[in-house]
Amino acid sequence: MSRQKNEQLSEIKKVEFSKQLKKQWVLVAWSVFFVIYGLVFYYAPLVGWLMGFQDYKPKDGILHSKWVGLSTFKNLFSNPDYLGVIRNTLAMGVINLIATTIMAILFAILLNEIVGQKKKKVIQTISYLPHFLSWIIVTGILHDALSGSGIVNELLLKFHLVPQAVNFFAHEVYFWPIVAFANVWKETGWNAIIYLAAITAIDPSLYEAAAIDGAGRLDKIRYVTIPGIKSTIIILLIMNVGNVLNAGFEIQYLLGNGLVQRVSRTIDIYVLDWGISQMNYSLGTAAGIFKSAVSIILILICNEIAKRHGEERLF
Amino acid sequence: MKKRVISMLLATLMVGGALAGCANNAGGGAGTSEDGSAAEGDGSVKEFTAFFAVPHAEINADNEIQQIIAEKTGVKVTETWLTGQQAEEAVGTLIAGGEYPDFVDAGDGSVQMYEAGALVALDDYLDKYPNIKEFFTEQEWDSLRQSDGKIYWIPQFSNIYGEERVCAHNDEAFWIQTRVLEEAGYPEVHTMDQYFDLIESYYEKHPTMEDGTPIIPYTILCEDWRYFCLENAPQFLDGYPNDGSVIVDTDTMKIVDYNTTDTAVKYFKKLNEEYKKGIVDKESFTQTYDEYIAKLSTGCVLGMIDQWWDFAYTAGDALKAAGLDKKGCQYVPLPITIEEGMKNQWHNSGGIVHTSSGLAITTSCKDVEGALQFVDDLLSQDIMNLRFWGVEGVDYNVGEDGMFSKTQEMRDNDADTAYKASHKCEYAYFPQWEGTSRDGKNAMKPEQQETEFFDGLSEDLKKCFEAYGAKTYVEMLGTTPPPGPWYPMYTFSQTMTTATPGGLANKNMDDCKHMYLPKVVMADDFDAAWKEYMDAYNACKPEDFLSEMQAELDRRVAEAAKYEN
Repeated sequence: MSRQKNEQLSEIKKVEFSKQLKKQWVLVAWSVFFVIYGLVFYYAPLVGWLMGFQDYKPKDGILHSKWVGLSTFKNLFSNPDYLGVIRNTLAMGVINLIATTIMAILFAILLNEIVGQKKKKVIQTISYLPHFLSWIIVTGILHDALSGSGIVNELLLKFHLVPQAVNFFAHEVYFWPIVAFANVWKETGWNAIIYLAAITAIDPSLYEAAAIDGAGRLDKIRYVTIPGIKSTIIILLIMNVGNVLNAGFEIQYLLGNGLVQRVSRTIDIYVLDWGISQMNYSLGTAAGIFKSAVSIILILICNEIAKRHGEERLF
Repeated sequence: MKKRVISMLLATLMVGGALAGCANNAGGGAGTSEDGSAAEGDGSVKEFTAFFAVPHAEINADNEIQQIIAEKTGVKVTETWLTGQQAEEAVGTLIAGGEYPDFVDAGDGSVQMYEAGALVALDDYLDKYPNIKEFFTEQEWDSLRQSDGKIYWIPQFSNIYGEERVCAHNDEAFWIQTRVLEEAGYPEVHTMDQYFDLIESYYEKHPTMEDGTPIIPYTILCEDWRYFCLENAPQFLDGYPNDGSVIVDTDTMKIVDYNTTDTAVKYFKKLNEEYKKGIVDKESFTQTYDEYIAKLSTGCVLGMIDQWWDFAYTAGDALKAAGLDKKGCQYVPLPITIEEGMKNQWHNSGGIVHTSSGLAITTSCKDVEGALQFVDDLLSQDIMNLRFWGVEGVDYNVGEDGMFSKTQEMRDNDADTAYKASHKCEYAYFPQWEGTSRDGKNAMKPEQQETEFFDGLSEDLKKCFEAYGAKTYVEMLGTTPPPGPWYPMYTFSQTMTTATPGGLANKNMDDCKHMYLPKVVMADDFDAAWKEYMDAYNACKPEDFLSEMQAELDRRVAEAAKYEN
């Protein structure tokens, strides 16, 4: 399109703005609805952050509680438990992110290679069904599968890989891998959908050209498919990095026990434990604020890195 | 266009269906309560809501006895129980939300509810309700006063009317299946060594159940707050009663920490030995409560330490339903102490005022007087019978001498969860009497009616009791009066929060024990593991906790002395 034409178009747009607004009032109404939703459910609760800077007492409320500045935060970070909790959250978040992303991409590529629409559809449907299970069910299955008489131990024993049943939930070393595995099992199929969509959007002529140049299957994946979905991968990574500290709550809460509490507690569990159970709302809020702050910083950093490398980015 | 018409049609059909469903429900509801027409007629049934911070079986919305009580008292309370949460979490969420049900029992969070200004002071009302007033003595009422000198909740349990009637040992004990005792010829068991010897030799001969299920000789429930099964045994083994959290040395009136006594070391060392031998279930420390109950319900667990209420109403009923009560799979308690010849206090007689929590009315309740009137009505003999015995002629029969009894069918119904949900309504967390009925003959509750209790026992249990010269669970252990007016101390430690150094220490000790006690039991080298545990334990500053407990003990003793004159 030439520049002139562009300008003309914008001219027309300006003139007809009100007309268009009228025409699109449905869309506008919907977006207003979502802006209100966002304000009510994402921004209004932020008033509660004030509790983090107060010695909050439910009786006095936010308006009359005593202000204590940053002392709650000081307490928080001088507590070795909390530092351990941050470590757990980060570690599990990063492991989950890497594992689920790689598995989802791998799965999407493999699925794409399957010939025959019907087979593909069936496999895809089956693979994303676990996404709809709630964690309580998934952890129940895990508990059964990994118990002393569960299928995993049964197999290990039958193949003489272990002398006696392994108690998977009693040792700290197994906890993070179990969590990562559960996440991969539950989310791989679901996460793969978006990559599959990206793959379908790749121009088929590229594959044809590659074939003419003598590329085999693996070459096509390497030189066409992966570069084709690279921007999708990066955008999703940036978005997910912001979620790293949301390493999970249910799964650790449900699978954890006294023996592994040193590696199983995440920030969310800590907030629940101290903020709600011990009714130390200020401490819980402070821990939550810290989590949000770190998430924002992580997103900014990732976005910046993407920008530097000339990749797609969020903003 | 055609499509549109069809979808419109479908939509109308669905809405119609939904409406019809509602109408049907309403019709059904009225239909089931034929004799409830009077109450419904004048439409005066008040509805209240209640939340109890404990898990409990729910009853059906059209529960029959609830309906009868509603007719008699004009009140129906919809109860909500704890599901999938911890009590503290639920209470914390309630307070954070600021909206409450009419009635609440916040358990350990009661003091927090009071501090948040969520509860109604009951002082001005009590005198108007004779049944409530009668529920406690002046001294007991005074012990319920909070820091502002007012009463906010009514503890519901362990309150004895007239003569005490106890059959079940509703407390902690080392339990063992009757078949293990039977095979060994009902020997006297007084120590942990004897106890585990019995279990070991039975296990050696019978490694599986008849159907091939492997036997689990001994398991320990360790999930979350229920880890008391593992944690607090040293106090009993030393011959002290369940003060919870600490031992009170009655000679010196000093607080003793049972976590660090020699008895504790011996107890955990014994468990460690048994763990290495494969007698202690390898999954003890990772199993959930549900898994634990499932194990007990199959009858394959020979013994465990637990509170009666923690397994008897779930696994106990399941054993009966599966016919395992005829195979000696039911549990009896044993009077075990750390050494032979000590006095045991697994069972204490008398009522306890659980001052730390109870039924409270919240500031959200619009009709405090109506709510209290209902509590008052629930304590009348007529309604007490309905709540716990049921409907005369349906759930129990009355003999010519006025004694209540049940037929076998009625007893089977009592163990049937579906029947209980549709028929029985105990209002289980509202105040209730134990002991003897106001008629002076029957017990307030069927499980305390001696004749009824003994008749309802399985043959194996009867044989076992007879072999030990006992008629009830309690007689298996013997009974002791409560040690003193401070008892039990756990009603104080439960109210502690992390706002005080002692409360903080208590929370840290708790976290520490959750991790190290299982480690100690599973350790290859017990002594090294115990040392590591003790280092971590001492780092939690248990002395802060103990000194606050000592202060409370002194306060309670001084308080009680005021009433002696």
